[in-house]
Amino acid sequence: MSMRRFYLIGFLVLVCFDTFAQICFKLTANHAMPPEANLAWVIRVMSSPWVYGAIACYVGAFVSWMTLLRHAPIGPAFAASHLEVISVMALSVVLFGERIDAPQLIGSALIIAGIVCLAVSETNAEHAPT
Amino acid sequence: MSVVTLWLLNILLDTFGQLSFKAAAAEPHPHEGLARWKAMARRPWIWCGIGCYIGEFLVWLAFLSLVPLSEGVLLGSINIVAVMIAGRILFNEKFSPLRTVGILLIAAGVAVVGLG
Repeated sequence: MSMRRFYLIGFLVLVCFDTFAQICFKLTANHAMPPEANLAWVIRVMSSPWVYGAIACYVGAFVSWMTLLRHAPIGPAFAASHLEVISVMALSVVLFGERIDAPQLIGSALIIAGIVCLAVSETNAEHAPT
Repeated sequence: MSVVTLWLLNILLDTFGQLSFKAAAAEPHPHEGLARWKAMARRPWIWCGIGCYIGEFLVWLAFLSLVPLSEGVLLGSINIVAVMIAGRILFNEKFSPLRTVGILLIAAGVAVVGLG
């Protein structure tokens, strides 16, 4: 397997784990409604099957992150681990029928631009002589 | 608890958790491998980080009960900013101009979503 393909698959796996973790979180939250600061709510959370999906995805994301970082530069890895906002937004519309209005569109564009800047600055810092 | 309280609590727990893990990893440990993990387990930082993450887990669930997921993940992006600012203050991490621009863009984006 070429290095390029390894990165590509690695980043995709990472984004998928992060995305599905958030979907599972939302499904858990819906299952445990209404939110309360008491034990009954925690028990409702833990009795939702989705919470275990969220935990599994977190573990998967952690393992793929560690594997990627051993070989890949941190800049693109950082971007991949935070650009899940795009996939989560898209799936929120499809799965939960959420509406994306102008503030969310403008805000997400700014946030994504910011994440790209941070990813590029991490990559530059890595190549700079210390 | 209000959405804003949960959002602030999430920022606090995430930042404190990440800094605790950084502190645990940055402490000088003489050993490698398993011995290093054992040495870290005897110090409070790693437990502090784990405790924060468990708290954050519940706070994030409560937060997502009150806001749509698409908005939640956007508002949660502020954690990146909080951790970087805390890293600069506590661990003297440098900010390049591009990093400053990135942080400002994310903060502006979160403000637009939050106020919109």
